[in-house]
Amino acid sequence: MRIPDLSTRIAVTGAGIVCSIGRDKAEVWRAIVESRAGIAKLTRFAGETFPTDLAAEVNVELPKGKRLSRTDLLAVIAAKEAISQAGDIPIERAIVSTGTSTGGLLEGEDYYFSRLVRGRRRASASRVLQQPTSGPSDAVASTFKLGGGVISNATACASAGAAIGMAADYLRSRHADVAIAGGSDALCRLTYSGFNVLQAVDPAPCSPFDANRKGITLGEGAGYLVLERWDDAVARGATILAELSGYGASCDAHHPTAPAEDGHGAEAAMRGALAEGRLTPASVDYVNAHGTGTMLNDSAESRAITATLGTDVPVSSSKSYFGHTLGASGAVEAVVTVLALQNQIAPPTLRLRERAPECPLDYIPDTPRPMELANVLSNTFGFGGSNVSLLFRRV
Amino acid sequence: MRIPITGIGVIAPGAIGIEAFRALLASGGSAVAEVDRFDTSGLSAHKAALVRDFKPKDFIPAMKMRRMNTLSRLGVAAAKLAIEDCGAALQPDTGVAIGTAFGPVQTSVEYMQEYAEKGAALAPPQLFAESVANAPGSHIAIEWGLRGFNVTITQRESSALAAAMYAATQLAKGSASAALIGGVEEANEMLFSVLDRIGALAYDGHPGITLGEGGAVLVAGAGTRKPYGWLAGFGIARDATATISNYGRNPVVNVRAMQSAVEDARVDKIDAVYVSMNGAPLCDEVEREALMLFPRAELVRTKQVFGEYAAGGALQIAAALVALDESRYDNVLVNSVSAGGGIVCAVLTKEAA
Repeated sequence: MRIPDLSTRIAVTGAGIVCSIGRDKAEVWRAIVESRAGIAKLTRFAGETFPTDLAAEVNVELPKGKRLSRTDLLAVIAAKEAISQAGDIPIERAIVSTGTSTGGLLEGEDYYFSRLVRGRRRASASRVLQQPTSGPSDAVASTFKLGGGVISNATACASAGAAIGMAADYLRSRHADVAIAGGSDALCRLTYSGFNVLQAVDPAPCSPFDANRKGITLGEGAGYLVLERWDDAVARGATILAELSGYGASCDAHHPTAPAEDGHGAEAAMRGALAEGRLTPASVDYVNAHGTGTMLNDSAESRAITATLGTDVPVSSSKSYFGHTLGASGAVEAVVTVLALQNQIAPPTLRLRERAPECPLDYIPDTPRPMELANVLSNTFGFGGSNVSLLFRRV
Repeated sequence: MRIPITGIGVIAPGAIGIEAFRALLASGGSAVAEVDRFDTSGLSAHKAALVRDFKPKDFIPAMKMRRMNTLSRLGVAAAKLAIEDCGAALQPDTGVAIGTAFGPVQTSVEYMQEYAEKGAALAPPQLFAESVANAPGSHIAIEWGLRGFNVTITQRESSALAAAMYAATQLAKGSASAALIGGVEEANEMLFSVLDRIGALAYDGHPGITLGEGGAVLVAGAGTRKPYGWLAGFGIARDATATISNYGRNPVVNVRAMQSAVEDARVDKIDAVYVSMNGAPLCDEVEREALMLFPRAELVRTKQVFGEYAAGGALQIAAALVALDESRYDNVLVNSVSAGGGIVCAVLTKEAA
């Protein structure tokens, strides 16, 4: 069995994103530098009663796609931007690796409700066929006729980070020549209700690391990166946006929904990424944090960052702009991290009014910070205690 | 490099535990029977391969069991059997990779039923916690304190093989000392009725799949038992002629994936192929053509025994390992062809080199 060659450098040659603050990289980055969030009153489930009523919804015209769920279509939008930027890639050897937590659950819910009203014989099954979490990967592969393989990762909110790391490994072991790796998730009733019943949703727009934070704001979106072996990208004359230099994964083994309070799992993931990237902690210039805005995550992640990198490294949460995009977050935020490297600007944490005592780091409040960024980490953690950290390097 | 498999735990249709599983395979019988767990009246199909004698309390303390859905119970019970079988405790850096084709469909249904009856704010949080596909992998990690990687792959028919490929890759690059690899699947009324509605299930001469379920976990890279076999190579591809909901039509792609796995394993012959054939005409027809690559290999159809999606596909891998352990073959290839075009295959060997 081929061992992934860790000396093989991985180039990012394309990136695509869609979320509540933009339909593509340009719109998203403009919103970030203008400190403009995309959080508003929930419209998708009008007429239903939730304890909170905010969300970071994507407001774009979705492409038409027979038998494709909203999550699938968001994936196609982001993947199209990424693939277009990458240019002439060998599609017959391109693998798709997508993370998603809900897949087409939104469409599945329609079917469940229809069955409750009409019974199983009369309810149309067409919507529920869009539910499987393999949908986004299959949709991207089918739309762009990709032939290298297809993998779906459903590891809750760590899904997309793991999907990207996995794709890099398959490039290093030469199971594929190019990877379209990312994640996608659409808002749905089950997750909106579920986080509410867990009392994990902030009734106001989320304020990560703030003393008065009360939880997450739910969002939706998709992000994809095109990954190639560095030498292959150079050989075909591709423009390299950044290097994916490390991937670390771990599990808290602590609780089905709550992170370990001491942050040991997050720390292990970051240390894993640094080890793979052969980088010292002092060389990390910025951390794009998981930063959900929950009491437990933000304190545990701050502890983990302190233990791994010390207290001087700037940290911010992009979720303060576009909410928690769940299974897509690892990819959406990886794209933001690549944009930060390209622009040499660290995105801020919005609405940070009073830093929490248990969150003692520099969270870049409110305003983007121009700074020299050479090596940056992007964290994503999920239910079940799964943690992923991705290390990116400036070209 | 090859990865040893030293422990197998199965909660299979017709067999709980490795010895019962061995006996079922040896008997040549099938676990496919009339469905009696849920109502199939008005549907065309009435048969499935169901796990019937599984008593979760034999494996999981009652307090913990209450927090787990059926998939998690299957996964934890299979992991317990696998760890006992391997003969050693696992190190804390052990990873977990689980495959499931459809994941927690039944939990989502139950949650939405409560949501509809009681309202969005009063649905039960415990069901929500179990509504994520990685809940079984999470419970396994918590139960045995496993802090290595923890991922769940949901690639239809290829889910467990794709999980095995991920875990083997992580072990090969040294991210963890060992891994639990496996799969879980639950046959439930919602899934069965939808597959029936679209004509995917077999009945009375109508070609189609037979739904299976179960849990299976393998211990990779640790343990004191003599290895059942070794994970030696993987191949992955996608048939670009496939639609999002059906199989592809190009056997050459499957050939390419199988060749890639054979090359990766550095073996010069394949004695048997554990085929993907599941009764769906297009799947079977295209794979049959692709299998011309191995004209002398024996074809083993485990899906006639356990049905499709059984333990997310992990029972197919377990069956191949049992055959290697019994010295029936030196090298086998396990093939999985998915609706949507995905293909993952693995070569398993009897020896380390």
